[in-house]
Amino acid sequence: MGQDNFTPLKRSSTGAAAGGVLPTTNAASAANGRTGRGAMPRGRQIQKTFNNIKITILCGFVTILVLRGTIGVNFSSPDEETINQQLIEEANRVLAEIRSDVDPDDPDEPSDSETNPNATYSLGPKISSWDLDRKAWLSHNAEFPSHVDGKPKILLVTGSTPKPCDNPIGDHYLLKSVKNKIDYCRLHGIEIIYNMAHLDKELSGYWAKLPLLRKLMLSHPEIEWIWWMDSDAMFTDMVFELPMDKYKDYNLVVHGYHDLMFIQKSWIALNTGSFLFRNCQWSLDLLDAWAPFGPKGVIRDEAGKIMTAYLKGRPAFEADDQSALIYLLLTQKDKWIDKVFIESEFYLHGYWVGLVDRYEEMMEKYHPGLGDERWPFVTHFVGCKPCGSYGDYPVERCLKSMERAFNFADNQVIKLYGFGHRGLLSPKIKRIRNDTTAPLEFVDQFRHSVTDKSGSQN
Amino acid sequence: MLERCVGTLRARQIQRVIRHGKITLLCLFMTVIVLRGTIGAGKFGTPEQDIDDIRQHFYAHRKRVEPHRVLEEVQTTDAAKTEDPNNYEKFDMNKLFVDEGEDEKRDPNKHDPSGSKRNPTLPNFLRPNKPRVLLVTGSSPKPCENPVGDHYLLKSIKNKIDYCRIHGIEIFYNMALLDAEMAGFWAKLPLIRKLLLSHPEVEFLWWMDSDAMFTDMAFEVPWERYKDHNLVMHGWKEMVYDEKNWIGLNTGSFLLRNCQWALDLLDAWAPMGPKGKIRDDAGKILTRELKGRPVFEADDQSAMVYLLITQRDKWGEKVYLESAYYLHGYWGILVDRYEEMIENYHPGLGDHRWPLVTHFVGCKPCGKFGDYPVERCLKQMDRAFNFGDNQVLNMYGFEHRTLASKKVKRIRNETSTPLEVKDELGIRHPAFKVVKVAASS
Repeated sequence: MGQDNFTPLKRSSTGAAAGGVLPTTNAASAANGRTGRGAMPRGRQIQKTFNNIKITILCGFVTILVLRGTIGVNFSSPDEETINQQLIEEANRVLAEIRSDVDPDDPDEPSDSETNPNATYSLGPKISSWDLDRKAWLSHNAEFPSHVDGKPKILLVTGSTPKPCDNPIGDHYLLKSVKNKIDYCRLHGIEIIYNMAHLDKELSGYWAKLPLLRKLMLSHPEIEWIWWMDSDAMFTDMVFELPMDKYKDYNLVVHGYHDLMFIQKSWIALNTGSFLFRNCQWSLDLLDAWAPFGPKGVIRDEAGKIMTAYLKGRPAFEADDQSALIYLLLTQKDKWIDKVFIESEFYLHGYWVGLVDRYEEMMEKYHPGLGDERWPFVTHFVGCKPCGSYGDYPVERCLKSMERAFNFADNQVIKLYGFGHRGLLSPKIKRIRNDTTAPLEFVDQFRHSVTDKSGSQN
Repeated sequence: MLERCVGTLRARQIQRVIRHGKITLLCLFMTVIVLRGTIGAGKFGTPEQDIDDIRQHFYAHRKRVEPHRVLEEVQTTDAAKTEDPNNYEKFDMNKLFVDEGEDEKRDPNKHDPSGSKRNPTLPNFLRPNKPRVLLVTGSSPKPCENPVGDHYLLKSIKNKIDYCRIHGIEIFYNMALLDAEMAGFWAKLPLIRKLLLSHPEVEFLWWMDSDAMFTDMAFEVPWERYKDHNLVMHGWKEMVYDEKNWIGLNTGSFLLRNCQWALDLLDAWAPMGPKGKIRDDAGKILTRELKGRPVFEADDQSAMVYLLITQRDKWGEKVYLESAYYLHGYWGILVDRYEEMIENYHPGLGDHRWPLVTHFVGCKPCGKFGDYPVERCLKQMDRAFNFGDNQVLNMYGFEHRTLASKKVKRIRNETSTPLEVKDELGIRHPAFKVVKVAASS
């Protein structure tokens, strides 16, 4: 068979011979006579063709390899790489779906009409006898008292959005922040509610806390104080206890400065990232007066303009709950101000920028339980916005500071167990006390330092 | 010239040989280059990726490493964005952590003494039949490898916070690795020991994995059932003692009483854990001894099964293998039935009709690879979360639109007399949260 294919070759090499005649005998006889490359013996020819075939195959093989390497000419069945590629694509699709706001089973909602700007927004039906109702309930339900061991029952409320953050680091710091709050609240007998539901479409964003606070107050009459805390605020003094006795004649405790508030009318005179509301009729009335600035759209934008004009230093943007509260308290001073306690003796809210770099100095000179600038109670990362894509500060600075604050606080918790972080930026821990056969001594020491009120208020 | 030396024929042969040799060398050289470029050639300096590929190719038959799913964010190369220091998306978390000091070298000879007698200053029982319980869970202090892993950890802890608030249980969320040798699933052992010793007021310690969620908010654990037992795990006696099955019990959610027995048990359980040769060898023993166990390093669950089988007389009496309700509920058989459960049953049952815990074994949302497809795991975790969350939101008159939806809808209008609203499940002011009224008042 092979010979037939190569007949043309043979023919050309034996050009001298007569066409059509098998040149074998002629070639053999010719090869014996001459030494040149003209007519060759058959054996030699076969060898030569085999050599050619070998070289052809070899070159073909090399070509295929090179092609495979460069442009991926692939004759085999889909291998692991394609499967991986498909998996990656599927995973990305699922992630994108999770991160979007679209509900998979939700039929397309008819777009809600804009709220009527003339109608006053209301958080719910007006309640006017809450103090009496609550008192009656408490007397009928003695097993759910509002004060335990002389301390009022406090409920810490915080929350975040139900969908994943725009970037994964944000979720990680939300997790660390909630762990931090769990630790503080466990040590101080405070309950936590972590909200992930948007209760009211119109009061979205920072306004979402208002309907939530109202709902919780009304559902839990046994709770004396509700403490709202932002998700970007962390406890940094695990020993400090709120001096609730100081507030027995007040209904709202918020961190701020008197002169900024009343003299300068600054928009940062108070901070609504961490504040306490008593569960009473006054608070419900305040919430009702506060909420109308919030509804999304025209109302919020207009309110924002009013506030920018009235408050010092406020940039132009839509109304936020903090500016609205300051505005409300200033314009309706007589109605509200005597029940508002503006706390500035300790850091119920501590602006992070002046605090985070001083942690090492604090650890050297002071001790937990002070709550003020020597050992801040709360470090609040305003402006960092780790859950979004962009913050007001450089990312590295924000995240490093949050990590430091978290570890600074965590050190106080794991000290009980004989451990400490290896540096304020390290997730690893080291032993600071050897294991012992009498672990309870340290437990008692720690417990005394937490419950010793006189020590914490010095 | 060559012809003159060795004769014509020889010369031609030599020439031919040389020609062949040249061709051979040329081809060999080209082959080596091409092979090096495409599939790598080992220690001649191959690109790392190729080594990984070869390794993976050879290990592909090992089920656990086979990527059933991959969760990786496709990094968009956008040169403009990399310069922006305020942008979170371009930040590399690995730049953040700094470890000061040296790694502790564990001294194997150092005797770690167990705890001494207890001296509680706070009562261990809040009421008769209501012990003080500490729920312990945890996760890594570093961000998850998977971009949505931390979000699911957050939802999981919120779910636990809700259950524990309703039932008066305290939570300890651990983010520290106490012992570098006992890493991975073994990390819970030194942590549990440390917590038992530091919290003498705690009667029961409830360990719960981070991938387990409460799906029955109204169910209270029947504490009086366990008054003579010290360890409660979900499992079946026959599967553990008779079949020696490695999934005869589950250590993803268990109760441990704070007592000397528990400390002794931890000491007996721990030896298979230390990372390295010990754990690998122990793994081989466990695979050999237990039914159905695949080949991998020793895990705490198999070690517990093995411990109970081999030392039944010592430990078996105080171990309660609970199967009347889902102290641990394997998600695969539960998640598709949520709608059916909502229609036919009600919270408070805790068993197959309305599981107490739905445990997402194998999903590993924090890592890059799991044993199940991404979509199924994450979507079902969302459903389980919403299923539990609905029971909490119901207290306040809300509910998720569907089990897959993040949005909520109102199911009860606001009223001006909120105290008269009936608490259907009885979990707003439940009996298990009652505070003992002081005799003097």
